[in-house]
Amino acid sequence: MLKIEKMNYWYQSKSEPLYHAIDLAFEAGKLYGILGSSGSGKTTFLSLIAGLDRPKTGDIYYNNESLKKIGLTNYRNQYVSIVFQSYNLLPYLSALDNIVAALEITNSQHKNRKTYAIDMLAKVGIDENLARKNVQHLSGGQQQRVAIVRAMCCDAKLVVADEPTGNLDETNSREIIRLFTQLAHEQGKCVIVITHEKEIAYACDVILELKEKKFTQVDKAPN
Amino acid sequence: MMNFLKRAFYSMKVKKGRTLLLTVVFSAILIFILAGLTIQSASLKATENAKKSMGATVTLSANMENIFKNAQKSMTEDGEKEKRDFTIPSIDGETVRKLSALDNIDSLSITSSTTVNASSFEAITATEETSTEEDAASGGRGFGGTGMMGGKTSGDISLAGTNDSATASAFLNDTAKITDGVGITSADAGTKNAVIEKNLATENKIVVGDTVKIKNTDEQAYTLKVVGIYESTETADQRSMQIPALNPYNKIYTATDFVNKVKGSTYKDTADSVLFTLTDPEQMTSFVKEAKAAGLDTDMYSLQTNDQVYQQMIEPLKNVESFAQKIVWLVAIAGTIILALIVIITIRERKYEIGVLLSLGEKRLKIIGQFFAELILVLVMALVIAGISGQFVGNYVGQQLLEQQNTTSAATTTTTESQGRPGTINGPGAGGQGQGGPGGQDGGPSIGGFGANNASDAEKIKELDINLSIEELVQLGGLGLGISFLAVILASIGIMRMQPKKILNS
Repeated sequence: MLKIEKMNYWYQSKSEPLYHAIDLAFEAGKLYGILGSSGSGKTTFLSLIAGLDRPKTGDIYYNNESLKKIGLTNYRNQYVSIVFQSYNLLPYLSALDNIVAALEITNSQHKNRKTYAIDMLAKVGIDENLARKNVQHLSGGQQQRVAIVRAMCCDAKLVVADEPTGNLDETNSREIIRLFTQLAHEQGKCVIVITHEKEIAYACDVILELKEKKFTQVDKAPN
Repeated sequence: MMNFLKRAFYSMKVKKGRTLLLTVVFSAILIFILAGLTIQSASLKATENAKKSMGATVTLSANMENIFKNAQKSMTEDGEKEKRDFTIPSIDGETVRKLSALDNIDSLSITSSTTVNASSFEAITATEETSTEEDAASGGRGFGGTGMMGGKTSGDISLAGTNDSATASAFLNDTAKITDGVGITSADAGTKNAVIEKNLATENKIVVGDTVKIKNTDEQAYTLKVVGIYESTETADQRSMQIPALNPYNKIYTATDFVNKVKGSTYKDTADSVLFTLTDPEQMTSFVKEAKAAGLDTDMYSLQTNDQVYQQMIEPLKNVESFAQKIVWLVAIAGTIILALIVIITIRERKYEIGVLLSLGEKRLKIIGQFFAELILVLVMALVIAGISGQFVGNYVGQQLLEQQNTTSAATTTTTESQGRPGTINGPGAGGQGQGGPGGQDGGPSIGGFGANNASDAEKIKELDINLSIEELVQLGGLGLGISFLAVILASIGIMRMQPKKILNS
């Protein structure tokens, strides 16, 4: 589904490249976990595969089509959903309206968007009453769950999440991972989760570790 | 499509402070623009009305300035300082007919005047009731000449020859009104029909159908048939106490040719002055040009337009209109800049929101559209506020401006007058509508001929009828829309350059 070829990135023109030319492929129906220490370039990697930035060299292909050709705005609108570490919700909308707004922006095919959003929010423990409140009145954990549901609700086949469980307790973290697994296995989406929590990573189908500017696949630890 | 409109509405609903600030600023801008627009339109309307009320008249009369100049010149050359007799030419019938054939003439009033003595009746002499304290200097209304120039005694009755009494200034100004019988028309040419004043008729028990006798200063008698009686509301000035012929009650209207006959054979087919009323004030200058081209002897005759009065009347309005136009432009430009700055600052504050929307794949144009929609909602609220208060502000500012302009204009006029009022020697002044005083018999036609409404006497427009119309509101809405559009365009330059990753990382 997503193919990365000889991709590299650096912040300033004369600074050292962030990666050794990366060649990676991500398949649909799988949940990927990306591990890495702080400052290793995990979030930048997410920005690149989410179409928020362009690689300096190399290319990224979505279903064999270059992102350059698709166009980053179009790519973000149609093919990828992003869960940010800092939620990134629209502050003047309710939890429900945040999701409905995302569904409208991405032109989601769901017919009754409001009902669908309420159902999805209920799955992560946010009832309708809470859903209709302005997001600024929700706790950090609740906002994180809203951000995750927003990404999950959209029709995009690729979901990328940056530390999605960072603000959640263990129970909610497990629930979120369960939902991501369900998205990948039941809806056939490709879910890429960036985390520093090994427990979360081990729940994924494939674990990649970013170390010394390159990705290496990590074997899953026995349960 | 609707999504960004909904977002605009929610954003405004939640950010009440920002919405209020924008509404107040936008309202202030629109109120001033609306005030400018209403003042401008009221000024235009008033100018149009002034144009209509003034009409367009051109007066043909003897070129008195030239005559006096020539007389003075000949006196200096001859060294005969005591001899002050000079001839004031009448307008010959050929010249009148030539000019009457020109285009754009609505009507013409041919006048010839003289003084006679009442024979079979008594002229009204000055009493306390008729005298006023009005200064004799108010002769601008038309009592220019007294007929003394010819060296003959003045009569006690003023004989005003006209081709149509309805076009005589007293009747036009509503200071004279037919109360019985009929007025003088062109059909009265060749007759001895007369229209006399009501007080003169009452005092002498004269009714329509009676005949009255008059004598010219050569004691030649004439019998007039009274066909109409008119009532004059004019008040006699101090001069009329000494000269009965100047008393408005002693004025008798007859046909022009009859007056010429009374004046003497040399005045056959002549006129003291001719007042041309044109169909359009804009044609005045071209009429004068055409008259000159038709061979008008400008050394002997002069053509006076009432354009000067009209121009002076509308001058304050023109200034107000020009000022109002400047207000509209200045406020519109300043408003666009102020609004653009506010929107730019707002957008900087909303960087994060823009980053989120961009990360969701929202198109930049739709984000700009959201900000534009927000400003349109503000515009609608501001339009309501401006619509309610704009007229009051326009009224206040407009009246203040007009008052100021009238004061400035009056000060300028006073200065001009103190330097010597032009035209008093000319008899026919700019207005050309005041009936002249009687002229001296045989000594030449009346000097006054047609008195004038001097330019300084022009009634200033003191009030502006400032009313808010749908057209102005639509115009204001259009301008508001333009301002919003420009403000958003200026502000969106920043949005177009924004990168979601940079925004969200920061």
